[in-house]
Amino acid sequence: MNTQTGALLHQAHMTTIEALQSLEEFLGANRKPPQVDDLVARRMKQLSRTLRSEVESHFGFEENHLFKAFVEQGETGIVTMLTHEHRSILPLAIQVADLALAAAEGGSFSESAWTEFKDAGSELIEREIFHIQKEEMGLIAAISALIDPEADQELADIYRREVG
Amino acid sequence: MFPGSLMMGAKDRLLPLSVPYRFFATAVVFHIAAWLVLALAGPDLSMGFRGGQGWVLAGLHLVTLGTLAMTAMGAGIQLLPVSTRRQLGPVWACRLVYWLFAPGVALFAVGLGLPMAGLQHAGATLSIAGMAVFGGLVAGNLRKVDDLPGVTRHAWMAVASLVLLAGLGLLLVIDFTSGILPDHGAIAAAHAVLAGYGFMGMLALGFATVLIPMFILGPAVADAPIRRSALFSGLGLAAGTLGAAFALPLVAAAGIALGLVGLGLYLRAMQPCMKNRMKKRLEPFFRLVWVALVLLPLGLLVALALTLGAPADPWGTLWGFLLVFGWLLSFVTALLQRIMPFLASMHSSSLGGKPALLSHLAPKLPVDIHLACHSAALVLIGLGIVGGWAWPVRLGLYAGLAGSIAFGVFAYLVFRRYRSHMKAAAAAANQGD
Repeated sequence: MNTQTGALLHQAHMTTIEALQSLEEFLGANRKPPQVDDLVARRMKQLSRTLRSEVESHFGFEENHLFKAFVEQGETGIVTMLTHEHRSILPLAIQVADLALAAAEGGSFSESAWTEFKDAGSELIEREIFHIQKEEMGLIAAISALIDPEADQELADIYRREVG
Repeated sequence: MFPGSLMMGAKDRLLPLSVPYRFFATAVVFHIAAWLVLALAGPDLSMGFRGGQGWVLAGLHLVTLGTLAMTAMGAGIQLLPVSTRRQLGPVWACRLVYWLFAPGVALFAVGLGLPMAGLQHAGATLSIAGMAVFGGLVAGNLRKVDDLPGVTRHAWMAVASLVLLAGLGLLLVIDFTSGILPDHGAIAAAHAVLAGYGFMGMLALGFATVLIPMFILGPAVADAPIRRSALFSGLGLAAGTLGAAFALPLVAAAGIALGLVGLGLYLRAMQPCMKNRMKKRLEPFFRLVWVALVLLPLGLLVALALTLGAPADPWGTLWGFLLVFGWLLSFVTALLQRIMPFLASMHSSSLGGKPALLSHLAPKLPVDIHLACHSAALVLIGLGIVGGWAWPVRLGLYAGLAGSIAFGVFAYLVFRRYRSHMKAAAAAANQGD
């Protein structure tokens, strides 16, 4: 992973994986709706921000800029597969992010909200980690092989501008 | 080519699921058959096994050819073109491998068990023909690759071992009726070294350099240390094979020492990947990987003791057991446990809709039961062999059989759940039209 774009995407994946592992621990530790104290509220807000950033800005960057460069190189298979996965992950991530934010702002999880959060969260963890596996091993590894340094610089600038 | 490119182009190079799955399903059936045959043969026959025709040799080949090689072929035809990003060959050739090899193994095992020379020869001919087509496909693929050495060096050694082990295997079968070999036992030992450490061992270690980083989200394995490891392992394999074939214990001992160094270098090369992985919690299949990685060097140490004068009874039997059931069967069932739902999930979005979740495809209880039974079998049979006690071996054989049945249930459920998912996806797609 010796490209700027690859390094930026990898860093975002690390943040997302960390958030998902923390979510997994949180779900595993609470069979019933947990108390939402200040600490939990902060965690929920952070989770919401990370998830939204992953599926809105990060996915958007990939689909609008990076995947186009791949398609130009004839690598359509992985682009189709990853785009298809974005479609199944995005609504799930937004659902979890919204539930987390609502709990943080409302100070509690209702029984039904907790069940919904737990089910959607578990599914999201699995889908997103499998998706990141594919991006880490395929997409990021391929950037250095398929994208020249000038295009890499350009993509990295776009990423910093649009995703942050 | 870049390392760690397994997923890149995966969608374009996925074979129809039925192609690798027929190998996996057959491997699972032969796995059960092997333990059943060994359990029926009983502990006395298994403990006293020093080669020769009969049901123990049949059971052994149901594991080595039927389970280990069958899985290696199924995984190889799917993983190699994806990891090298080069076509393996036409799909019909992959199907031909199966239709030659699977009936060949069944005939050969029955021929060994009864024993019947005609069945042995027919089975061996078909099996070797299947292996030849597989070896040709793999060699053709590897010839096009010059930039993925981690996998390719090991894979080349596996192909070379396959050619040699098949040749020696054929000589051994002919020797049963014609007595052409001066030392049947020495050639059988060389055949086992080539099969266990050469063909299967090299494939396992080569593919692990690609699969492990992917499953744990670790950095790609550096090429230079893997190259050094492959060099030592290859030299060790050559010396070990020659030492066994010509009954030269010091040469064999040197081969084992080189193999241990190669293994040490390999594990050291994998360490940064494990240490810097993103996925901190390892998946359940790793439990069997750890078992395999402990028993591989243990088996080599037992082999070293043999070359230094330890008696063949019980240490020769223990070496064979650790090699086949300890290292290889543990590793291969770990791989099957992960790769069957993984491939099914990769195929599950082909009709549109969400891909099936791995946790929905892969039931947990059967693999937990398999792990417990397999581990119990390893401990009980190992102890029984060393102590010369029949009862732990008998219990171990039953535990192995129970574990293989649990594994069969796992494989069946993965396939059934995949089919259900696809039916639902097809119905949803039809509704959308």
